[in-house]
Amino acid sequence: MDFEEIYSLYSPQIFRVCMGYVNDHDQAKDLTQETFISVWKNLAGFRNQSKISTWIFRIATNNCLRAIEKSKRVVITELPFHLPEAPQEESQEEKLAFLYKAISELEEIERIIISLVLEDLPQAEIADIVGLSTGNTRVKIHRIKEKLAIKFKDHGQFE
Amino acid sequence: MNDLKAIWLTAKTDDLPTSVEMLRLVKKFRNQKLLKKWGIIIAALASMALMVFTVFSYKSTMITTRIGELMAISACVILASTNIKSLKRFYDLNDCSNKEFIAFLEQTRQNQLYYYKKTQVWGMGLSSAGLLLYMYESVYRDMMLFIIIYSFSVAWILFLWLYLRPRNFKKQTIKLNKTLDKLEKISNQIK
Repeated sequence: MDFEEIYSLYSPQIFRVCMGYVNDHDQAKDLTQETFISVWKNLAGFRNQSKISTWIFRIATNNCLRAIEKSKRVVITELPFHLPEAPQEESQEEKLAFLYKAISELEEIERIIISLVLEDLPQAEIADIVGLSTGNTRVKIHRIKEKLAIKFKDHGQFE
Repeated sequence: MNDLKAIWLTAKTDDLPTSVEMLRLVKKFRNQKLLKKWGIIIAALASMALMVFTVFSYKSTMITTRIGELMAISACVILASTNIKSLKRFYDLNDCSNKEFIAFLEQTRQNQLYYYKKTQVWGMGLSSAGLLLYMYESVYRDMMLFIIIYSFSVAWILFLWLYLRPRNFKKQTIKLNKTLDKLEKISNQIK
Protein backbone atom coordinates (compact mmCIF):
# COMPACT_ATOMS: atom_id res chain seq x y z
CA MET A 1 0.00 0.00 0.00
CA ASP A 2 1.48 3.38 -0.92
CA PHE A 3 1.22 6.60 1.04
CA GLU A 4 -1.60 8.09 -1.00
CA GLU A 5 -3.76 4.99 -0.57
CA ILE A 6 -3.04 4.91 3.16
CA TYR A 7 -3.88 8.59 3.48
CA SER A 8 -7.17 8.32 1.60
CA LEU A 9 -8.19 5.27 3.61
CA TYR A 10 -7.19 6.36 7.10
CA SER A 11 -7.24 10.17 7.25
CA PRO A 12 -11.00 10.49 8.00
CA GLN A 13 -10.67 7.90 10.79
CA ILE A 14 -7.59 9.54 12.23
CA PHE A 15 -9.24 12.96 12.12
CA ARG A 16 -12.28 11.66 14.02
CA VAL A 17 -10.10 9.98 16.66
CA CYS A 18 -8.07 13.19 17.13
CA MET A 19 -11.28 15.21 17.28
CA GLY A 20 -12.59 12.83 19.96
CA TYR A 21 -9.44 13.45 21.97
CA VAL A 22 -9.01 17.22 21.63
CA ASN A 23 -12.56 18.40 20.77
CA ASP A 24 -11.08 21.21 18.69
CA HIS A 25 -11.39 21.15 14.91
CA ASP A 26 -8.15 23.00 14.06
CA GLN A 27 -6.06 21.09 16.59
CA ALA A 28 -7.50 17.80 15.35
CA LYS A 29 -6.57 18.77 11.79
CA ASP A 30 -3.02 19.63 12.90
CA LEU A 31 -2.71 16.31 14.75
CA THR A 32 -3.96 14.44 11.68
CA GLN A 33 -1.33 16.16 9.56
CA GLU A 34 1.41 15.43 12.11
CA THR A 35 0.33 11.78 12.13
CA PHE A 36 0.70 11.47 8.37
CA ILE A 37 4.02 13.29 8.39
CA SER A 38 5.26 10.53 10.77
CA VAL A 39 3.61 7.84 8.65
CA TRP A 40 5.32 9.15 5.51
CA LYS A 41 8.72 9.38 7.21
CA ASN A 42 8.55 5.89 8.69
CA LEU A 43 6.64 3.99 6.03
CA ALA A 44 9.78 2.57 4.43
CA GLY A 45 10.94 1.25 7.81
CA PHE A 46 7.56 -0.24 8.72
CA ARG A 47 8.30 -3.93 9.21
CA ASN A 48 4.77 -5.33 9.38
CA GLN A 49 5.32 -6.39 12.98
CA SER A 50 1.83 -5.13 13.62
CA LYS A 51 -1.11 -4.38 11.33
CA ILE A 52 -0.71 -1.15 9.41
CA SER A 53 -3.91 0.20 10.99
CA THR A 54 -2.53 -0.53 14.48
CA TRP A 55 0.68 1.25 13.57
CA ILE A 56 -1.12 4.33 12.25
CA PHE A 57 -3.53 4.54 15.19
CA ARG A 58 -0.59 4.20 17.57
CA ILE A 59 1.15 7.15 15.93
CA ALA A 60 -2.05 9.21 15.97
CA THR A 61 -2.94 8.50 19.59
CA ASN A 62 0.65 9.04 20.74
CA ASN A 63 0.55 12.40 18.97
CA CYS A 64 -2.66 13.21 20.84
CA LEU A 65 -1.03 12.28 24.15
CA ARG A 66 1.92 14.47 23.25
CA ALA A 67 -0.46 17.43 22.95
CA ILE A 68 -0.45 17.74 26.76
CA GLU A 69 3.11 19.02 26.50
CA LYS A 70 2.07 21.88 24.27
CA SER A 71 0.69 25.01 25.82
CA LYS A 72 -2.66 24.75 24.10
CA ARG A 73 -5.04 23.07 26.46
CA VAL A 74 -7.42 20.37 25.42
CA VAL A 75 -10.72 22.14 25.06
CA ILE A 76 -13.75 21.05 26.96
CA THR A 77 -16.15 23.27 25.07
CA GLU A 78 -19.40 24.52 26.35
CA LEU A 79 -22.28 23.42 24.23
CA PRO A 80 -22.92 25.97 21.52
CA PHE A 81 -26.63 25.84 22.14
CA HIS A 82 -29.05 26.32 25.01
CA LEU A 83 -30.03 23.07 26.64
CA PRO A 84 -33.81 22.79 26.61
CA GLU A 85 -35.76 21.90 29.76
CA ALA A 86 -37.78 19.30 27.93
CA PRO A 87 -35.97 17.24 25.31
CA GLN A 88 -36.48 18.50 21.80
CA GLU A 89 -35.31 17.12 18.52
CA GLU A 90 -31.63 18.00 18.09
CA SER A 91 -29.82 18.47 14.83
CA GLN A 92 -27.03 16.09 13.81
CA GLU A 93 -24.42 18.77 14.57
CA GLU A 94 -25.82 19.32 18.04
CA LYS A 95 -25.82 15.60 18.73
CA LEU A 96 -22.23 15.35 17.52
CA ALA A 97 -21.22 18.37 19.62
CA PHE A 98 -22.74 16.75 22.68
CA LEU A 99 -20.94 13.48 21.95
CA TYR A 100 -17.61 15.32 21.68
CA LYS A 101 -18.32 17.20 24.89
CA ALA A 102 -19.20 14.01 26.74
CA ILE A 103 -16.00 12.35 25.50
CA SER A 104 -13.86 15.39 26.33
CA GLU A 105 -14.93 15.09 29.97
CA LEU A 106 -13.42 11.59 30.18
CA GLU A 107 -9.80 10.87 31.19
CA GLU A 108 -7.16 10.92 28.43
CA ILE A 109 -6.83 7.16 27.90
CA GLU A 110 -10.60 6.71 28.12
CA ARG A 111 -10.98 9.29 25.34
CA ILE A 112 -8.59 7.33 23.15
CA ILE A 113 -10.28 4.00 23.89
CA ILE A 114 -13.83 5.20 23.18
CA SER A 115 -12.74 6.94 19.97
CA LEU A 116 -11.24 3.66 18.76
CA VAL A 117 -14.37 1.77 19.79
CA LEU A 118 -16.49 4.22 17.80
CA GLU A 119 -14.19 3.61 14.82
CA ASP A 120 -15.19 -0.05 15.12
CA LEU A 121 -11.72 -1.37 15.91
CA PRO A 122 -11.62 -4.85 17.48
CA GLN A 123 -10.89 -4.93 21.22
CA ALA A 124 -7.66 -6.86 20.68
CA GLU A 125 -6.38 -4.12 18.34
CA ILE A 126 -7.40 -1.38 20.79
CA ALA A 127 -5.51 -3.26 23.52
CA ASP A 128 -2.47 -3.39 21.23
CA ILE A 129 -2.65 0.33 20.49
CA VAL A 130 -3.05 1.45 24.10
CA GLY A 131 -0.76 -1.17 25.65
CA LEU A 132 -3.28 -2.85 27.94
CA SER A 133 -4.30 -6.50 28.18
CA THR A 134 -7.43 -7.48 26.25
CA GLY A 135 -9.25 -8.24 29.50
CA ASN A 136 -8.37 -4.89 30.99
CA THR A 137 -9.43 -3.15 27.77
CA ARG A 138 -12.80 -4.92 27.86
CA VAL A 139 -13.38 -3.75 31.44
CA LYS A 140 -12.39 -0.19 30.56
CA ILE A 141 -14.67 -0.11 27.52
CA HIS A 142 -17.56 -1.30 29.67
CA ARG A 143 -16.90 1.44 32.27
CA ILE A 144 -16.58 4.15 29.62
CA LYS A 145 -19.87 3.09 28.04
CA GLU A 146 -21.51 3.33 31.46
CA LYS A 147 -20.09 6.81 32.02
CA LEU A 148 -21.31 7.95 28.61
CA ALA A 149 -24.73 6.42 29.18
CA ILE A 150 -25.10 8.46 32.38
CA LYS A 151 -24.11 11.66 30.56
CA PHE A 152 -26.59 11.02 27.77
CA LYS A 153 -29.33 10.11 30.24
CA ASP A 154 -28.72 13.35 32.14
CA HIS A 155 -28.90 15.18 28.86
CA GLY A 156 -32.26 13.55 28.25
CA GLN A 157 -31.41 12.19 24.83
CA PHE A 158 -30.79 8.84 23.21
CA GLU A 159 -32.15 6.76 26.07
CA MET B 1 -23.79 2.27 21.13
CA ASN B 2 -24.89 1.98 17.53
CA ASP B 3 -26.62 5.37 17.88
CA LEU B 4 -23.35 6.86 19.07
CA LYS B 5 -21.43 5.27 16.19
CA ALA B 6 -23.92 6.74 13.73
CA ILE B 7 -23.48 10.22 15.27
CA TRP B 8 -19.70 9.77 15.41
CA LEU B 9 -19.55 9.08 11.68
CA THR B 10 -21.40 12.31 10.82
CA ALA B 11 -18.22 14.32 11.57
CA LYS B 12 -17.25 16.26 8.45
CA THR B 13 -13.85 15.28 7.13
CA ASP B 14 -14.08 16.87 3.68
CA ASP B 15 -11.91 19.86 4.62
CA LEU B 16 -8.87 17.64 5.24
CA PRO B 17 -6.07 18.13 2.69
CA THR B 18 -6.18 15.84 -0.33
CA SER B 19 -3.47 13.19 -0.58
CA VAL B 20 -1.60 15.34 -3.13
CA GLU B 21 -1.70 18.39 -0.83
CA MET B 22 -0.66 16.18 2.07
CA LEU B 23 2.36 14.88 0.19
CA ARG B 24 3.44 18.46 -0.52
CA LEU B 25 3.02 19.33 3.16
CA VAL B 26 4.86 16.23 4.33
CA LYS B 27 7.92 16.99 2.23
CA LYS B 28 8.05 20.53 3.60
CA PHE B 29 8.06 19.47 7.23
CA ARG B 30 10.50 16.63 6.87
CA ASN B 31 12.74 16.19 9.92
CA GLN B 32 12.13 19.75 11.07
CA LYS B 33 11.53 18.65 14.66
CA LEU B 34 14.93 17.07 15.13
CA LEU B 35 16.82 19.74 13.21
CA LYS B 36 17.74 21.67 16.37
CA LYS B 37 19.28 18.59 17.99
CA TRP B 38 21.28 17.86 14.83
CA GLY B 39 22.41 21.52 14.81
CA ILE B 40 23.72 21.26 18.38
CA ILE B 41 25.53 17.98 17.64
CA ILE B 42 27.19 19.37 14.52
CA ALA B 43 28.20 22.59 16.32
CA ALA B 44 29.65 20.62 19.26
CA LEU B 45 31.55 18.26 16.97
CA ALA B 46 32.88 21.17 14.89
CA SER B 47 34.09 23.01 18.02
CA MET B 48 35.69 19.79 19.22
CA ALA B 49 37.47 19.31 15.88
CA LEU B 50 38.67 22.92 16.03
CA MET B 51 40.02 22.43 19.56
CA VAL B 52 41.78 19.18 18.62
CA PHE B 53 43.29 20.94 15.60
CA THR B 54 44.52 23.73 17.91
CA VAL B 55 46.08 21.22 20.30
CA PHE B 56 48.21 19.79 17.48
CA SER B 57 48.95 22.97 15.54
CA TYR B 58 49.63 25.39 18.39
CA LYS B 59 52.57 24.20 20.47
CA SER B 60 51.91 25.68 23.85
CA THR B 61 54.50 25.65 26.59
CA MET B 62 52.21 26.03 29.58
CA ILE B 63 50.24 23.28 31.27
CA THR B 64 47.28 25.66 31.85
CA THR B 65 46.71 25.87 28.08
CA ARG B 66 46.71 22.08 27.71
CA ILE B 67 44.31 21.65 30.65
CA GLY B 68 42.08 24.41 29.23
CA GLU B 69 41.98 22.68 25.85
CA LEU B 70 41.15 19.33 27.42
CA MET B 71 38.36 20.88 29.49
CA ALA B 72 36.82 22.58 26.46
CA ILE B 73 37.01 19.35 24.44
CA SER B 74 35.36 17.45 27.32
CA ALA B 75 32.54 20.02 27.42
CA CYS B 76 31.97 19.49 23.68
CA VAL B 77 31.97 15.70 24.16
CA ILE B 78 29.35 15.99 26.92
CA LEU B 79 27.14 18.23 24.75
CA ALA B 80 27.43 16.03 21.65
CA SER B 81 26.96 12.70 23.46
CA THR B 82 23.92 13.93 25.43
CA ASN B 83 22.22 15.02 22.22
CA ILE B 84 23.23 11.90 20.25
CA LYS B 85 21.76 9.71 23.01
CA SER B 86 18.53 11.68 22.94
CA LEU B 87 18.35 11.55 19.11
CA LYS B 88 18.81 7.79 19.16
CA ARG B 89 15.87 7.46 21.54
CA PHE B 90 13.70 9.50 19.14
CA TYR B 91 14.66 7.36 16.14
CA ASP B 92 14.05 4.12 18.05
CA LEU B 93 10.53 5.34 18.75
CA ASN B 94 8.78 4.06 15.68
CA ASP B 95 6.04 1.66 16.62
CA CYS B 96 5.04 1.72 20.27
CA SER B 97 1.84 1.57 22.28
CA ASN B 98 0.45 4.51 24.28
CA LYS B 99 1.79 2.87 27.45
CA GLU B 100 5.33 2.64 26.05
CA PHE B 101 5.07 6.14 24.61
CA ILE B 102 4.06 7.68 27.95
CA ALA B 103 6.95 5.81 29.60
CA PHE B 104 9.26 7.21 26.90
CA LEU B 105 8.00 10.76 27.48
CA GLU B 106 8.39 10.40 31.25
CA GLN B 107 11.95 9.11 30.80
CA THR B 108 12.79 11.90 28.35
CA ARG B 109 11.53 14.58 30.73
CA GLN B 110 13.40 12.96 33.63
CA ASN B 111 16.54 13.00 31.48
CA GLN B 112 15.97 16.67 30.71
CA LEU B 113 15.60 17.43 34.39
CA TYR B 114 18.84 15.55 35.05
CA TYR B 115 20.46 17.49 32.20
CA TYR B 116 19.55 20.83 33.76
CA LYS B 117 20.56 19.73 37.26
CA LYS B 118 23.80 17.88 36.52
CA THR B 119 25.02 17.64 32.92
CA GLN B 120 24.61 21.33 32.18
CA VAL B 121 26.55 22.25 35.34
CA TRP B 122 29.41 19.97 34.29
CA GLY B 123 29.42 21.21 30.70
CA MET B 124 29.30 24.87 31.70
CA GLY B 125 31.83 24.36 34.49
CA LEU B 126 34.31 22.66 32.20
CA SER B 127 33.98 25.22 29.42
CA SER B 128 34.17 28.21 31.82
CA ALA B 129 37.26 26.90 33.62
CA GLY B 130 38.72 25.71 30.30
CA LEU B 131 38.33 29.17 28.78
CA LEU B 132 40.01 30.91 31.72
CA LEU B 133 42.92 28.47 31.74
CA TYR B 134 43.33 28.44 27.97
CA MET B 135 43.63 32.22 27.65
CA TYR B 136 46.24 32.61 30.36
CA GLU B 137 49.26 31.79 28.18
CA SER B 138 48.36 34.38 25.53
CA VAL B 139 47.82 37.31 27.90
CA TYR B 140 49.90 36.80 31.05
CA ARG B 141 52.84 38.87 29.81
CA ASP B 142 50.78 42.03 29.26
CA MET B 143 49.12 43.10 32.50
CA MET B 144 46.71 45.53 30.81
CA LEU B 145 45.56 42.97 28.27
CA PHE B 146 45.29 40.38 31.04
CA ILE B 147 43.01 42.63 33.11
CA ILE B 148 40.79 43.54 30.15
CA ILE B 149 40.40 40.01 28.78
CA TYR B 150 39.87 38.42 32.18
CA SER B 151 37.43 41.12 33.37
CA PHE B 152 35.25 40.52 30.32
CA SER B 153 35.51 36.75 30.60
CA VAL B 154 34.78 36.65 34.32
CA ALA B 155 31.88 39.10 33.88
CA TRP B 156 30.43 36.90 31.12
CA ILE B 157 30.86 33.73 33.20
CA LEU B 158 29.24 35.38 36.24
CA PHE B 159 26.35 36.57 34.08
CA LEU B 160 25.95 33.02 32.76
CA TRP B 161 26.07 31.36 36.20
CA LEU B 162 24.30 33.92 38.32
CA TYR B 163 21.60 35.18 35.96
CA LEU B 164 21.10 33.19 32.76
CA ARG B 165 21.37 29.67 34.15
CA PRO B 166 19.25 30.14 37.32
CA ARG B 167 16.56 31.93 35.29
CA ASN B 168 16.51 29.26 32.62
CA PHE B 169 16.76 26.47 35.18
CA LYS B 170 13.78 27.73 37.17
CA LYS B 171 11.62 28.16 34.07
CA GLN B 172 12.51 24.75 32.65
CA THR B 173 12.16 22.79 35.89
CA ILE B 174 8.72 24.27 36.62
CA LYS B 175 7.60 23.34 33.10
CA LEU B 176 9.14 19.87 33.26
CA ASN B 177 7.70 19.08 36.69
CA LYS B 178 4.24 20.13 35.50
CA THR B 179 4.56 17.86 32.45
CA LEU B 180 5.82 14.99 34.60
CA ASP B 181 2.78 15.34 36.88
CA LYS B 182 0.44 15.17 33.89
CA LEU B 183 2.31 12.18 32.44
CA GLU B 184 2.13 10.36 35.76
CA LYS B 185 -1.63 10.91 35.83
CA ILE B 186 -1.97 9.39 32.36
CA SER B 187 0.42 6.57 33.15
CA ASN B 188 -1.80 5.64 36.13
CA GLN B 189 -4.71 5.32 33.70
CA ILE B 190 -2.90 2.58 31.76
CA LYS B 191 -2.09 0.37 34.75
